[in-house]
Amino acid sequence: MSQEQRLELVTRGTVEIIQPAELERVLEEKKKPRAYWGFECSGKQPS
Amino acid sequence: MLRKAALLAQLPGMMHIGTGLVCGTKIKDMIQAGFHFIIFLADWHSMINNKFGGDMEKIETAGEYYKHCFTALGLTEDKVEYIWASELASKPNYWERVIRIAKTITAQRAVRALPIMGRDMKTQDVETASLFYPCMQAADIFEMNLDVACAGIDQRKAHVLAREAGEKLGWGKPVALHTPMLMGLAGVQGSDKGSYDEDSKLSSVIASKMSKSKPENTILLHDSPQLIEEKFRKAYCPPTIVEGNPIIEYYRLLAFHENETVVLRRDQKYGGDMKFSSFSQLEEAYKAEKIHPQDLKANMARILADILRGVRDYFDKHPEPLEQMLKIEAR
Repeated sequence: MSQEQRLELVTRGTVEIIQPAELERVLEEKKKPRAYWGFECSGKQPS
Repeated sequence: MLRKAALLAQLPGMMHIGTGLVCGTKIKDMIQAGFHFIIFLADWHSMINNKFGGDMEKIETAGEYYKHCFTALGLTEDKVEYIWASELASKPNYWERVIRIAKTITAQRAVRALPIMGRDMKTQDVETASLFYPCMQAADIFEMNLDVACAGIDQRKAHVLAREAGEKLGWGKPVALHTPMLMGLAGVQGSDKGSYDEDSKLSSVIASKMSKSKPENTILLHDSPQLIEEKFRKAYCPPTIVEGNPIIEYYRLLAFHENETVVLRRDQKYGGDMKFSSFSQLEEAYKAEKIHPQDLKANMARILADILRGVRDYFDKHPEPLEQMLKIEAR
């Protein structure tokens, strides 16, 4: 998968990335970067 | 089974499609793009926010149920890593990290970065424990050595705070990725007028997001196709208007995210099926009065029921987590 394809997948449907240039750098430098989403255990997202 | 479904709909803690689908599909995108993805089950944070009355045992049950929901959506343990906040908090340096972060933040900013969901921003009602919340959120990010932190847009302040703290402490700045909040079925009009953010637009977006206190305004992952159809029939969907129209929003965020093309099924006498290969095509057709609101709603209900079929099948085969959730109420 090309860098452009990865970037498109990650950014689609988002309302904001802080900062896009930093995201691009992460994708360039790392094959397997680490990400998370936190969820409170009660229907309301997120933590 | 029907009785059980009715009971479940009234339970606090049931996952709705805002969480299951908006977050779930984004997580799948990230995995496909090569990320190691962690679903963080924030039991401590739930306790701080007095979820289930702050009862940790009930919170753990709800967290297990959450894990099953995401598994049912295809986020199995071989694809994502599940980490409990209490696991992370038991590491020797965790609380030191929290304190170091807390030392970089004024109390006023911590209050302003609080998770604002479903609460008005009156500081006199805030428990001191709540001030730990944004500090823990930042500590979680650094403790798990993350490159990217994902959340709904309502969490932006906490993420900005984490970035600033990380920079001051020399721990680096995580990239923050924010998704939209999914509007409730009643749209902006049907939401409460509470103040959730000093940015009035963001405040109304948060207010209109799917609220657990209004089951008729929310689609739960477990809702039957019949119930989904019923809820959509009553949904807010003004003809030709796309701004603030929750049904249009569901096409954009859900239907077109899961599918390349969307077919609206329609009776021959009303013109027959319509096929759309992009969201903007559908949007334009709706504005031009080429789609009737009833058709728009009925088709979205069908598409959603299809997307959720896997979840219903999973819980038919694994009823235990739901039964545990029902027992919570009886305790």
